[in-house]
Amino acid sequence: MSIYENKEARLPLERVSVPTDKHYRMRMKHHGLLNANPRKSGLLAAIIGYALLFGAAHGVLILAFQVIPALLTNGLPFPWTGFGLEKNSFWFNVIYGLLAPVLAFLFIAVVALINILMLRKYLAKVQNRYGPLHNGPSGSLQTVYDALKLVSKEDYTPKMVEETIFTLAPVLVFVSAFLLMAVIPFAPGWVFANVEAGAIFIIAAGTLGGYGVLLAGWSMNNKYGLMGGLRAAAQLVSYEVPLSISLLSVCVYAGSMNLSKIVEAQQSLWFAIPLFIPFVIYLIAGLAELKMTPFDLPEAESELVAGFNTEYGGMRFGFFFVAEFAELYLLPALMAVFFLGGWNAPSIPAPTGTFLNTWSGGAPTLELVLKANPMAGDLNADYIVNQEDLTAFSAAEVDGKKLPKWRLDITRDGSVDSKDSEFISREIATNPKPTLWQLLFGPGSLILNSIYALIFLVKGAAGVYFYMWIRATLPRFRDDQLMELCWKGLIPLSLVGLLLAAVSRLIPAVGITISILVGGTFIVMIARGAFFPTSSKQVKA
Amino acid sequence: MTAVADKPNNARNTSGSVMNPTTVERVAGRSDEMLLNLGPQHPATHGVLRVLMGVDGERVTKAIPHIGYLHRNHEKLEEVRTYPMCIPYTDRMDYVSGMQNELPLCLAVEEMLGIEVPERAKYVRTILFELSRIASHMVWIGTYMLDLGAITPFLYAFRDREMILDIIEETAGARLLPNYFTYGGVRRDHHPRMMQDILEFLTWFERKLPEYEALTIDAPVFQARTVGVGVLDPQLALNHGVTGPNLRGSGIGWDLRRDDPYDAYPHLDFEVCVEYGCDAYSRSRARFREFRESIKIIRQAVNQCPKGGAYLPKLPRLKPVAGMERYRAVEISRGHLGVHIVADGSEKPWRVKHRSPSFCTLQALADMAVGSKFSDAIAILGSIDIVLGEIDR
Repeated sequence: MSIYENKEARLPLERVSVPTDKHYRMRMKHHGLLNANPRKSGLLAAIIGYALLFGAAHGVLILAFQVIPALLTNGLPFPWTGFGLEKNSFWFNVIYGLLAPVLAFLFIAVVALINILMLRKYLAKVQNRYGPLHNGPSGSLQTVYDALKLVSKEDYTPKMVEETIFTLAPVLVFVSAFLLMAVIPFAPGWVFANVEAGAIFIIAAGTLGGYGVLLAGWSMNNKYGLMGGLRAAAQLVSYEVPLSISLLSVCVYAGSMNLSKIVEAQQSLWFAIPLFIPFVIYLIAGLAELKMTPFDLPEAESELVAGFNTEYGGMRFGFFFVAEFAELYLLPALMAVFFLGGWNAPSIPAPTGTFLNTWSGGAPTLELVLKANPMAGDLNADYIVNQEDLTAFSAAEVDGKKLPKWRLDITRDGSVDSKDSEFISREIATNPKPTLWQLLFGPGSLILNSIYALIFLVKGAAGVYFYMWIRATLPRFRDDQLMELCWKGLIPLSLVGLLLAAVSRLIPAVGITISILVGGTFIVMIARGAFFPTSSKQVKA
Repeated sequence: MTAVADKPNNARNTSGSVMNPTTVERVAGRSDEMLLNLGPQHPATHGVLRVLMGVDGERVTKAIPHIGYLHRNHEKLEEVRTYPMCIPYTDRMDYVSGMQNELPLCLAVEEMLGIEVPERAKYVRTILFELSRIASHMVWIGTYMLDLGAITPFLYAFRDREMILDIIEETAGARLLPNYFTYGGVRRDHHPRMMQDILEFLTWFERKLPEYEALTIDAPVFQARTVGVGVLDPQLALNHGVTGPNLRGSGIGWDLRRDDPYDAYPHLDFEVCVEYGCDAYSRSRARFREFRESIKIIRQAVNQCPKGGAYLPKLPRLKPVAGMERYRAVEISRGHLGVHIVADGSEKPWRVKHRSPSFCTLQALADMAVGSKFSDAIAILGSIDIVLGEIDR
């Protein structure tokens, strides 16, 4: 049937308000392209995507934080009892330290791949098109195919490049994004490295990416690449400052730099409310760190073709790509840790204070360097004392009572004294062998931790979608406007935020009120176009 | 403006060749100025324009357009073909609003031969002419927002433009190169549902216009990127022969639909949209106001469109007298598109010369872009809305 004869093809007058879907379906059919309904296909893809995202990500997390530690110690509920290492003993740390990066990479790869798919679907939805549709159900295998394509391409280096740096740069960018994984607490006790100075670690690891991008732009001997690299360096270095200050405000308020403790401190109130200014700054500066619209100057397509990754192809480009999308997940995830309560949710019971060393969810955490934390004493004094008590326990026997095997994880060194034995007796009296219900749903159990991790993943995903929403809406800033926003807007405000964080710590009502007022005013100012000079100076030579 | 930009073909560089984009020029003792070869394959050049851009950091020091990558020799091709065979070539000049390009040729030949066009044909031409203007400005919205870094308006604009193309396809048989206007009217009467389709589209489009405005000219980031950017002095604009929305954005109300009316325009009530900011923002606003004017014009024309034939059943022989010549111009989406025909008494024109608006507008690029930021240069290039098919012809 030609388009002339097709009566369905024309829009009836009374249905003018909703013609687009129908119109396009008609066109697509006309061209023999597809029979799918975009709404249904979007829904199916969303269901599949989220199931994949949360299922696969959870699988990796459970493997990393429950199965493997239980294998290394004797924690498995099977006759075969594992390797029998003590938690946080030397060999445990060595073996788990070798496995952890692999697992972290697995998590990042899973999250990045699925994120790419979901965001393409989301952008397509916003932009009134279908997005990936043909590979797998509703296009859900598209990113897997893309990744296979990138991997199978030739590992090509153009002639004119500085080869060592050209090769090193994507690795730097990737490692920078990847390192952030180490300190993120996904659920109580589910963290690869429980670094006391976690916030500092994040700032340090995040800065590494700037070098990668700058070196990539410089080494490729391409003018667009050079300009992109320089823009990226200026942008990342500038926005690192307000980002760091906003994170430090959180540390001041929480009294700790340890990310797990920061999350614990948010059990009653998420920091986004008392620390509204740092939250807003993190939101904006995080977007700039991601190099995403409206801050995508380093790879501005219409200006610099592809910016700092112009000359990259195959998996070299893939590293940039995966790093970008890994960061796209990890920065909102960190936002969830610092401002949105991490794994805490209003209706879910918060974990109890000594969860780290309770009977089953013993943290497989690597106690690494950077343990010194002068601020830790303030907020969680009781908790710290308890933990120190616990770490002093001896292993097998106390007062002639033999500790059951499932309690072995509360011990870490070989010495025990009367204080410890008293404590252990009390512990054993108050915490008898757990029932099945406790094993499944008690504090630190796999299922409860899974729920916490799900809450955390959802918060991260929500942040990602917020960023994508901005990306779908706004045009790009000019470089001077970018700098203006940072140095005249965000940095002074972040210092105010730091000050108010300290005030809120002392006089909560005053600090929080001022914080929300100032932060709200700032948002309104930005929405009304403050900080953007309306014209560049037209200098005519 | 630098001396080099004054003499684009004489750009000094140490290696001798202007065409060598890798040359780093040393101007006035500075070694950090870089020649950037923008195009002909570049996302922001809207086709195959090549601009040699000197950049000092982010500051543009020179902008030299190199054109001709899309040259197809239309004028010469038209000179070796009969008059009816000339019309399809004009479509291919400004391919974004193809139908508009056919009109000046038709008008010129009609006036040479004294052909009386039926009233209905005049109205149908006017309606499609304005519809093409909406489609063309919609492409401008999309591509300009792409230049500024926003992807979504592009897809929205193309979604709605598609409806216009469908209407044109139903009526003329082709979407972009319709070959519909002809001497003495239009080639065949329009599709019976065309008028209704157009009114439906206008209803839809009027509802969508605020959305476009919210995404573009009302958005703070868009204003930050365009207000005061690419200032085109009115006198300079006149000197360069800039026309259309670019000229009206510089505060000069020159519109051939009003000042040298053709077809049904004398009977229609509309406004010439003049903006006085002389910058990229004013040019954008001028185009957005033209949307509403076009809607107004189409509504009136559809209501007033008389019954009757839309073409002449019998044309006189298309052989203007030897030595007769005619220049006729119309106001297409980009400005003043003219055609100059000299007849030699045969059925082929002796000489055809097209005067295209983008060609003149592009000459003003260096004046606007030099001294601004590199990002602004891209914003300026987008704001003047050039089509390379019409520049190179």
